[in-house]
Amino acid sequence: MTLLWAVLAIGGSLLFQAGVGQWIPGAQRSVDALLWPVAYYALARSQRSAMFAGCAAGLVQDAWFEAGAFGIHGFSKTLLGWALGGLGGRFDLNHFPGQLVGGALLFVGDRFVEMGLMLLLDLDVGPLRPTALTVAAVINGLLVTAVFAVLQRIFGRQSQRSGRRKT
Amino acid sequence: MAGLSDTRKNALLLVAMLFAQLLLISGRVKGAGGSTLLETGVLRATSPVLEATRTVGGGVSGVAARLHEIRTARTENVLLRRELESLRGELGRFREAALENERLRRLLEMKKELAPRSVGATVVAANLSGQTRMIVIDRGTDDGVRPDLPVVAWGGAVGRVIYADSHLAKVRLISDPNGGAAGLVQRSRAQGMVLGRGDGAMALAYVPSYEDVVPGDRVVTSGKDGVFPRGFTIGQVVAVGPDTGVSKTISVAPEVNFAALEEVLVLVDPRAIAKALSDPSAPEGP
Repeated sequence: MTLLWAVLAIGGSLLFQAGVGQWIPGAQRSVDALLWPVAYYALARSQRSAMFAGCAAGLVQDAWFEAGAFGIHGFSKTLLGWALGGLGGRFDLNHFPGQLVGGALLFVGDRFVEMGLMLLLDLDVGPLRPTALTVAAVINGLLVTAVFAVLQRIFGRQSQRSGRRKT
Repeated sequence: MAGLSDTRKNALLLVAMLFAQLLLISGRVKGAGGSTLLETGVLRATSPVLEATRTVGGGVSGVAARLHEIRTARTENVLLRRELESLRGELGRFREAALENERLRRLLEMKKELAPRSVGATVVAANLSGQTRMIVIDRGTDDGVRPDLPVVAWGGAVGRVIYADSHLAKVRLISDPNGGAAGLVQRSRAQGMVLGRGDGAMALAYVPSYEDVVPGDRVVTSGKDGVFPRGFTIGQVVAVGPDTGVSKTISVAPEVNFAALEEVLVLVDPRAIAKALSDPSAPEGP
C-alpha cells in the first residue's frame, strides 16, 4: 500500500510537471513538482522512504526532462532525501515554516548538486542567477506547503494515525 | 547488519544508491548519447501519465475555448461592424499583402520540398529550466526518427535528436548549454558555432575579430556540423561585445520561441534536403 501511494505521488507530480510545461511553459523554470514526494517523505515519513522516493522521482525526471546524463536528478534527489529526511528525523519540521524552508532548500540543493555533477562530468553549465534562484526557491517552498495542506485535508486523520516518523 | 543503527544503515544505503547512480551517469556520458534499459523502462512505464496530461489538456482547452467563444460572440458583432467600415482603408495594404503572399508561396514550396523527407511530430513534454533545454516528441524509431537527426520548426532550427525509442524521442535544443549548431551570418558570411548559454539565449562563438557582424544580422545554419542542412534560421544577432582575444563576443536571440513549440519537423533525410536546398532553382532557405 505504501508503495502504491509512492507511485501515485510520483505519477501525480509528473502529471503536474508535464502539465506546467505544456500549459504555462514559462512557469516551468520556477517549479519542480518532482521534489514534492521527496519533501513529503522526508518531513512526514522516514529518511529511508525519502531516499527511495527521491531516487524514483529523480530517475523519472531524468527520463522525461533531462537531455544530458541519465541519473543526475536521481543522484541529487536521493542525496537530498537523505539529508532532509535526516533533519526531519532529528527535528520536527512538519509545520508551515519547516515545510517552506524544506521545500526551498530542496530546490536550491537540487540545482547546486545538478550543476556540481555536470561540472564533474565536464558538461557545460549555464550561469546561476541568484535572484531567479531565490524567487524559484520561495515558490517551491510555498508549493510544498500547499501540497502538505492538501494532503492533510484529504488524509489528515489517517496520517496522524499511521504517519509516525521513523529514522 | 543487524547490529547497526538505523542511521548507519541509511548511510550505507545512501552510499550504495549514489554509487549505483554514478555508474549509471558515467555509463551514459561515456556512451555519448546511448540509452539505458532503465531509462527506456522508466519512459515506457510513465508514458501513460504524459498521455493523460495531453488528453486532459485537450479537454480543458476545448471547454475553455467554447466558453471563450460564447463570451466573445456578442462583442464580436460590434467589432465586425467596425471592421466593415475600416475595410476601405485595407485597400491601401494590398501591396503589402502581395509581398506577404510571395513569402508564403516560398514557404509552401519549401514545405513541399521538405515534406517527403521529414516527419511531423508533436511536443509532449519540455524542459526549459535549470541546466537543460530539451523537448520530448511523439515520434520514434517506428517513424524513422533516430539519434542525431535535425529537428526544425517553421521558425527555424530547433535541435538535434539525442535519444529515440519506438514511439518517443528526446530532442536537445540548440539553446541547451551542451547543444548548438554551426552558424553563418547571412549578410557577411562570417562563420562560427552557435552555443546555448544556459539562460535561453545563445552565443555565436569562434568568429574572428576581423569579421563584420552587427546587431540585427541574421544567423543561419551553415551545414558544417553534419547535422543541420544549410540555410535554416537560427536567430538574430542582438549584441556584439568587445573582442576577446581573437574572437568576437556575439549574442544571438533564437528565432524559434522554444517555450511555445507545439509541432516540429524531424528531417529524416537531411542529406537529401541539403542537396535540395543548395539547388539554385530551389527557394531560399527557411
